[in-house]
Amino acid sequence: MFKMTHVIHTENLTKHYGNVHAAEDVTLHIKKAEIYGFLGLNGAGKTTTIRMLLGMIRPTMGTAFLFGQKVGPGNLDLWNQVGHLVETPYSYPELTVLENLEIYYRLRLLKDPGLLADVVEKLHLGQYRNTKAKHLSLGNAQRLGIAKAMIHHPGLLILDEPANGLDPAGIVEIRELLSDLAGNHGVSVFISSHILGEISRFATRIGIIHEGHMIYESDIDRLDQSRRRSLHVETLDNEQAHEILSSAGYSADFLSDGSLEVSGEAAINHPEKISALLASQRLAPKKILVEEEDLEHFFLRLIQTSKPSS
Amino acid sequence: MKAIQAALWMEVLKVRRTTIFPISMFFFVFMGIVMGLLMFVSQHPEIASRSATLSVKTSFLGEFSWAAYNDLLIQIILTVGVIGFGIITSWDFGREFSDRVVKDLLALPVPRFTIIFSKLIILFFWSMILSVIVLVAAILTGLAVRIPGWTAVDWFPFLWNYIVCTVLNALLITPVAFVASAGRGYLLPISFIILIMILTQLLFVGLPGAAFWFPWALPALFSGVAGEAIHQPGFISYLIYGLTVLAGLFGTIAWWQFADHK
Repeated sequence: MFKMTHVIHTENLTKHYGNVHAAEDVTLHIKKAEIYGFLGLNGAGKTTTIRMLLGMIRPTMGTAFLFGQKVGPGNLDLWNQVGHLVETPYSYPELTVLENLEIYYRLRLLKDPGLLADVVEKLHLGQYRNTKAKHLSLGNAQRLGIAKAMIHHPGLLILDEPANGLDPAGIVEIRELLSDLAGNHGVSVFISSHILGEISRFATRIGIIHEGHMIYESDIDRLDQSRRRSLHVETLDNEQAHEILSSAGYSADFLSDGSLEVSGEAAINHPEKISALLASQRLAPKKILVEEEDLEHFFLRLIQTSKPSS
Repeated sequence: MKAIQAALWMEVLKVRRTTIFPISMFFFVFMGIVMGLLMFVSQHPEIASRSATLSVKTSFLGEFSWAAYNDLLIQIILTVGVIGFGIITSWDFGREFSDRVVKDLLALPVPRFTIIFSKLIILFFWSMILSVIVLVAAILTGLAVRIPGWTAVDWFPFLWNYIVCTVLNALLITPVAFVASAGRGYLLPISFIILIMILTQLLFVGLPGAAFWFPWALPALFSGVAGEAIHQPGFISYLIYGLTVLAGLFGTIAWWQFADHK
């Protein structure tokens, strides 16, 4: 019953290649219309997990369900609800953009020729429709890969690093396209990346995988609560300010530029009290501000501090 | 049915667009013409004597007649068939892995075995076309160089022999398809074809009795070109041959269905 409410549901998905644990007990739940950012460094297990979701790799243990149906060789109808892009999008090089798309139009047994024109227009491939795939730029090859994934209007898109090779305008375009699909058409998007900053702009939920283990999962609006914040203070005499703050019970450390970093909720939530304390000791701050850990540092800190139980 | 139609459409499109298709046709036309010309040269020692290599190559051709020429054509389809049909199979299956497009064929509403069947069907017809091309090119060249004895030849048995040898060779592409899939590219299946060629030659020269058991020797045994000293194929030969073809087919299907496609 539980898994029926999820578009993607995995139970302890595990893949071992000999001694290499590519994925270990990966459990995921992705709801309808959710954009799930699946993050990890290169080799973290993102592509292995995606390939298991798509039935390209058989799990050593565990099971994957898409739309409540177990992923396996028998569930062919399932694949018309799923569009996918796995790693670098390669196409038949000697065929044109339109011919490459027509292959998947036919292999998906589609019956509306308008779908071809729609997807060409949506991905701005019109001027390249008769260009052979081998002559496409990396960005346009990527668009063709995404077009192949979307041609049949799937309810679930599984995209492995789709922003690779796209220029900034292309990245924004794809981001807006995916947001529109999820927000206005109820499409669920499972998108992998190693750039948290990019994914956090449009994902509704993120999960981080490291060395095959899921180490973090959160709704995007709760991500801020997980990021480290601290108060940065600079005075005319930082040594003395350090003494004042320490004797008042605050935890203060020196930063590389000599200024102070004060941690703890009491300081972060009430910087005015720090300011008043220092001013009362004739050491009013030159600078005082709450610094929020940026997403990349947050991502790296999580990865560095995680200790997967392998 | 719609699935196999879609897969066949895809395979035909890919073959039509590739350069290996016209190259294979050109090569087989070339082989047919060369056979006719060699026959012609064999009867004109003044041409052959200018080149020691040419002289050696023409010395095995035998008498200058359509009967001898037709035997030569059977030998050609037996050897060039294994190489040619094997290479196009290596390309057709191996390119899916080398061009890294196979991953787009795995999560589709079309069963994976449908794609394999469509490939094998297209390769079979491609092989048939090549065998017809080499035959037509050779016959036309033979007529052009005025090989004597056209009316003395019993054409029906020759054509039957030629067609059966072609079909027997064309069905043996299934193990090549498996090696190309398992090897994920061209290199392994082409090495496999070379190995098979060497083994077949070694068996006929060194261990003629063992050819009875070797599936790639069956077409030559059937054709009779190996000579009377070598046994005709028996039930066991056909059984081993059939099992090899089926093992190649089901092995390929199993590989696409169950192997990890990383």
